[in-house]
Amino acid sequence: MIRPPAPSRWLPPVVTLVVVLAAWSAVSASGIVQPAYLAPSPLEVWDAFLRANTNHAVGGGVDRVVRGEEGYYLWEHLVVSLQRIGGGLALAIVVAVPLGLAMGTVGWFERVVGPYVDFLRSLPPLAYLGFLVAWFGIGDTSKVALLFLAAFPPIALATLNGVRGIREDRLNAVRSLGASRRQTITTVVLPATLPDILSGLRVAVGFAWTTVVAAELVNGLPGIGGLAYLSGTQNKLALSVACIIVIGLTAIVLDLIIRTLEKKLVPWRGKA
Amino acid sequence: MSERHDLAVTVAGLEQEFRARDGVVRALDGIDLTIEPGELVTLAGPSGCGKTTLLRILAGFVEPTRGTVEVGGRPVRGPGRERGVVFQQPTLYPWLDVRDNVALGPKVRGVAKAERYRTAERYLELVGLADVAGLRPYELSGGMQQRAQIARVLTNDPEIVLMDEPFGALDALTRERLQEELLTIWRETGKTILFITHGVDEAVFLGSRVLVMSPRPGRIVLDEPARFSTDGHQVPPADLRALPEFTALTTKVREAISHP
Ligand SMILES: Nc1ncnc2c1ncn2[C@@H]1O[C@H](COP(=O)(O)OP(=O)(O)OP(=O)(O)O)[C@@H](O)[C@H]1O
Ligand SMILES: [Mg+2]
Repeated sequence: MIRPPAPSRWLPPVVTLVVVLAAWSAVSASGIVQPAYLAPSPLEVWDAFLRANTNHAVGGGVDRVVRGEEGYYLWEHLVVSLQRIGGGLALAIVVAVPLGLAMGTVGWFERVVGPYVDFLRSLPPLAYLGFLVAWFGIGDTSKVALLFLAAFPPIALATLNGVRGIREDRLNAVRSLGASRRQTITTVVLPATLPDILSGLRVAVGFAWTTVVAAELVNGLPGIGGLAYLSGTQNKLALSVACIIVIGLTAIVLDLIIRTLEKKLVPWRGKA
Repeated sequence: MSERHDLAVTVAGLEQEFRARDGVVRALDGIDLTIEPGELVTLAGPSGCGKTTLLRILAGFVEPTRGTVEVGGRPVRGPGRERGVVFQQPTLYPWLDVRDNVALGPKVRGVAKAERYRTAERYLELVGLADVAGLRPYELSGGMQQRAQIARVLTNDPEIVLMDEPFGALDALTRERLQEELLTIWRETGKTILFITHGVDEAVFLGSRVLVMSPRPGRIVLDEPARFSTDGHQVPPADLRALPEFTALTTKVREAISHP
């Protein structure tokens, strides 16, 4: 049965939100911050958000209508960024899960490959962005490659960790039923590791999102991170704040999606 | 279905040591044992004497420190389909429902879905789980999980069944019913069964041969034939237990456990 959540659950965050908005409005209305454009009010941010999602007149007496910001609506900037991490993550999953399984099941493979995956994970992705731009150009390919490299170590290492944590008798039981090595991997190792793979994916998505926003500083338009940066440098702070809020909310929604996926795919988590 | 009921289990000079934090634990010490095809060997002994260790070596999960283990004349090199294992702790897979857990053996052998479900259904009914076949293992009680595990092994039809205290977690009534069923299956199929238990009565009632192990390091200190399971199907269990021979063997086993 689904009951509406109790007020004790939703009331505190709503109160905080109201207080924060009120304080924010008061600060920007008071004129403490000078010049005033440095402190856009919530309303100005909202306006910037709406403008960025519609066609509007350029203004200044010029009789011309433009589409959103920089030729794209704000939601289109967002979608482009999401597509970038979508591509990078899909590649990362396809490579990292088999790699993690192989590392977990073949001892020497882990010893050969493991240190390099660890090394890659320890690098801040922007360190190798320049290198990737040299290889793949300034366009989307280098960004997808960047996100792939950023996302695959956490997934591979979580998969490895999951394989290592499998209770030995889970493997023994299926071998006693006559399973071959390959069948043991597909019928037991992979499903038993699924909870860890999803945990790794969750880490990877968070990491990929921060990375894509940062990577869009370089030729990032269209792209929500690119727009946030550009609008800041052009002193359109209301738009920049609108982008920041969208970026943050998107991160929360992405995390929520993966947690829902976990509940769907791993209903036994914590129970067995 | 391979009808090979000719696999003897031969163990010679078996010793097992475990490296523990504070030195070496000797779990088994000089086990020599031959289990003939079709025997139902019950194995009793005090807790920690090495019963599970012996079973895991026979199952091929552990390589013994010293000694040889052969099944059907071939050295054991790992787990195998001809040796089914009922674990002391149920090991069912939470990503499969009970039916798919039970049908897993035929599945890895490539048996068609309809056929493997039919076999699974039969054993699910036998252990009284037909009505929970669609649940996940973690939705079952401990005793139900244990019964599901037994059904899974029987569905796979191994020639040798290694059972580690399979009825330990069950209530008396269910235990007695499953004891009867186990005997029926054993008589009908002629499977070779090694049955570990800490119940003296259970060991004597079920075994065609009763073994007792000493406290750690485990050795076999009693090896007696028994006939209550072979003759028993004409006599109700209660009368069987009242027989003087039954009481005599029970006393002997109990003494072997307490004064090896
Ligand atoms: N993997 C292991 N590492 C170290 N010691 C072990 C290991 N497995 C078993 N032992 C030790 O070997 C001895 C025998 O254990 P085993 O599990 O075979 O006993 P058991 O007879 O089955 O006892 P119970 O009736 O309580 O199940 C114990 O002292 C145990 O601590
Ligand atoms: Mg044991």
